[in-house]
Amino acid sequence: MKIFWCLLKKELRTCFLSPIAFVVMFFFWVLMGGNFVWLLYQLANGAPILTATQLLFGGPFISFSLPIVIPLITMRLFAEERKMGTLEALLTTPLKIPALVLSKFFGALFFYLVLWLPIFVFAFILAKFSPSAEIVFPDWGALFAGSLGVILVGSLYVSIGLLMSSLTANQIVAAIAGFAVLFCTFLAGVFLAYTTANPVGRMLGHYFSSYTHMYDLARGIVNTHVIIFYLSCTAWVLFAAIRVIESKRL
Amino acid sequence: MIKVSNVTKKYPARLAVNDISFEVARGEIVGFLGPNGAGKTTTMRMLTGYLEANAGEIEVAGFNLYTHSEEVRRRIGYLPESCPLYPEMRVDEYLWFRAELKGVSLATRRAKVNDVKERCGLTDVGKRIIGQLSKGYRQRVGLADALVHDPELLILDEPTVGLDPYQIRQVRELIRQLAEQHTILLSTHILPEVEAVCERILIITDGKIVASDTSENLHRMLHSTVLLEMEIQAEKEEALAALKTIQGIHIRECNTLVGGWLWIEMDAESPTLRVELFNLAVAKGWSLRALTEKEYSLEDTFVEITQRAKEQSL
Repeated sequence: MKIFWCLLKKELRTCFLSPIAFVVMFFFWVLMGGNFVWLLYQLANGAPILTATQLLFGGPFISFSLPIVIPLITMRLFAEERKMGTLEALLTTPLKIPALVLSKFFGALFFYLVLWLPIFVFAFILAKFSPSAEIVFPDWGALFAGSLGVILVGSLYVSIGLLMSSLTANQIVAAIAGFAVLFCTFLAGVFLAYTTANPVGRMLGHYFSSYTHMYDLARGIVNTHVIIFYLSCTAWVLFAAIRVIESKRL
Repeated sequence: MIKVSNVTKKYPARLAVNDISFEVARGEIVGFLGPNGAGKTTTMRMLTGYLEANAGEIEVAGFNLYTHSEEVRRRIGYLPESCPLYPEMRVDEYLWFRAELKGVSLATRRAKVNDVKERCGLTDVGKRIIGQLSKGYRQRVGLADALVHDPELLILDEPTVGLDPYQIRQVRELIRQLAEQHTILLSTHILPEVEAVCERILIITDGKIVASDTSENLHRMLHSTVLLEMEIQAEKEEALAALKTIQGIHIRECNTLVGGWLWIEMDAESPTLRVELFNLAVAKGWSLRALTEKEYSLEDTFVEITQRAKEQSL
């Protein structure tokens, strides 16, 4: 546990010292700003205020950018260590590999959550400038559920990016593999859920698509199966990453 | 301290280490020699638990590496070949992080970090960013990192690569000091270094240990002859032909020096053959300005041993 904290501190420091983190942060915040402007247009054109949290958390600007943004955060996790040889220096200390993988996972997840912080500013603006007393914003339940969605979807995406990074010594390869996997699953989910005629396909799409999950959660609909789906998938992918790191010693 | 028995390591394309066995006793300084690609680094990586052997047993400080890997790693200070460091960190931060990672308690951490900084000559660069340090300083940071948790066994993979001669001497001195409390296994290409520091030498070629002894014993084992060096002023062909007539002399090398001098190095079956060489020079009327018995260099021994091993395996 002590070693986990030590590694996590180091991970956070590295994360916030890397220039790429700030480039990613800049672009993500520009996108969030764009998303908020778009949301205001929708509201001005008569969309009900109830949809505000939905657009805030699940707006297409953000949903479509996550499969790009997350691999950019996670690409360096193991690829960089492997390239520089510091993985050797790490693995020859008395640490346990799960602690190493988890510290990297939580480090990246923390940075990802920092990326979402402006959401509270936007929510505050909406609350402050709600046009009349009848309109209730924020809906705390929906805001809380949306945040939960951010964490759940983020965990799975970060773990997938981490797995890709553990497979290669090249950060670019790690990033592109991450884009590929995340975009494929994301788009497959969206297309299945919204564009197929086949009802079974639609059902499957709704079941697996993170876009749908995010939309539901941001409306305040919390399904236990969604929570379990994300937690178990994240755990499974992290387990795979642990095995990958262990297998490199053979 | 280290007990390696019948260890084999296969990479997908080749056999890196082939059924090696050796032991290192507590308090020894052992030099690990071998040509590039002989399996030195692979062996060291297996000892530190970074790579897993395909077959065989490794025991370090009484712990089996497979069942008690963590205990073993706790007792090893390892300096990897490329000396990997985090370039974005400061020296102090890095050593602090490594000490914490290796389980040095908070109470003693500051003292330990300061101690290794002093021993490795890093006191003045504690606040500098590692990425901006010269190769020599980085190497010292790596060495300080290997020492910071006061390990029983030090495994140093080419500790003096990239250092200037002055720093090399410092590192050697440091290694000698460390030998009082630690067991050391170090690999290097630089042969005089091994002779200067190590008590025992392990030579590995093509994944096999071909020799393990003190450097004097290795020489003795290989050479029943002594090495003689002579400088004379004479015609080259004539001199060589005349020298060949002496029984028990084998010429290794002959170079022409300035002023018509010849420098000749030869294997002689006995050091007393010098008398006959002197008599020959007198008889031929050559001027003689040097005639000495020399020590075989470790380089000669090393080349010979590795070559012999190659021939045997063919």
